[in-house]
Amino acid sequence: MNRKYLALLVLFGSLAVPLTLAQITHIEMRVEGMT
Amino acid sequence: MKQHLGRQSGVQNVEVSLLNGKVDVTPKEDGQIDPAQLLKATYDSGVTAAEMDMTARGKIVKDSSGSLAIQVEPNRSFALAPNELSKGLESLADTQTMVTVRGQLYKKSAGKKRADPSAPLKLLILEVQNKE
Repeated sequence: MNRKYLALLVLFGSLAVPLTLAQITHIEMRVEGMT
Repeated sequence: MKQHLGRQSGVQNVEVSLLNGKVDVTPKEDGQIDPAQLLKATYDSGVTAAEMDMTARGKIVKDSSGSLAIQVEPNRSFALAPNELSKGLESLADTQTMVTVRGQLYKKSAGKKRADPSAPLKLLILEVQNKE
């Protein structure tokens, strides 16, 4: 029972990690009309 | 403008260079940053955005019409403008492979004073930095 639970935990953990690592890391803009 | 952009959700830091008009935005890790909202905030602060580049890490997905997109949050993705680099990512669509790309989200059209904020932003990939 514990093994099954552990296996499910690892499976869902491995699916969740990639999406949590996904993100916008940097934004750069060039603007005009700034004084 | 720095303070105005700094107040937007998901923004950690804003650096403005008066010399060349370059604005560097560092997002928080909460994933709340919205590039379209940043563009709007830029216009609201009285300046014109000429160009916006973004570096993002995410999964390549295909939408219902078969177009490629990069998913950067569970509920946020950006359609990819087709070019050679985006074609090279087609084989990664709907896999678990994470890619880091740098691309152009917005460029002011010649003769256009301001962008339509409601227009969807498409990412033109300029560089594929990493695949893992």
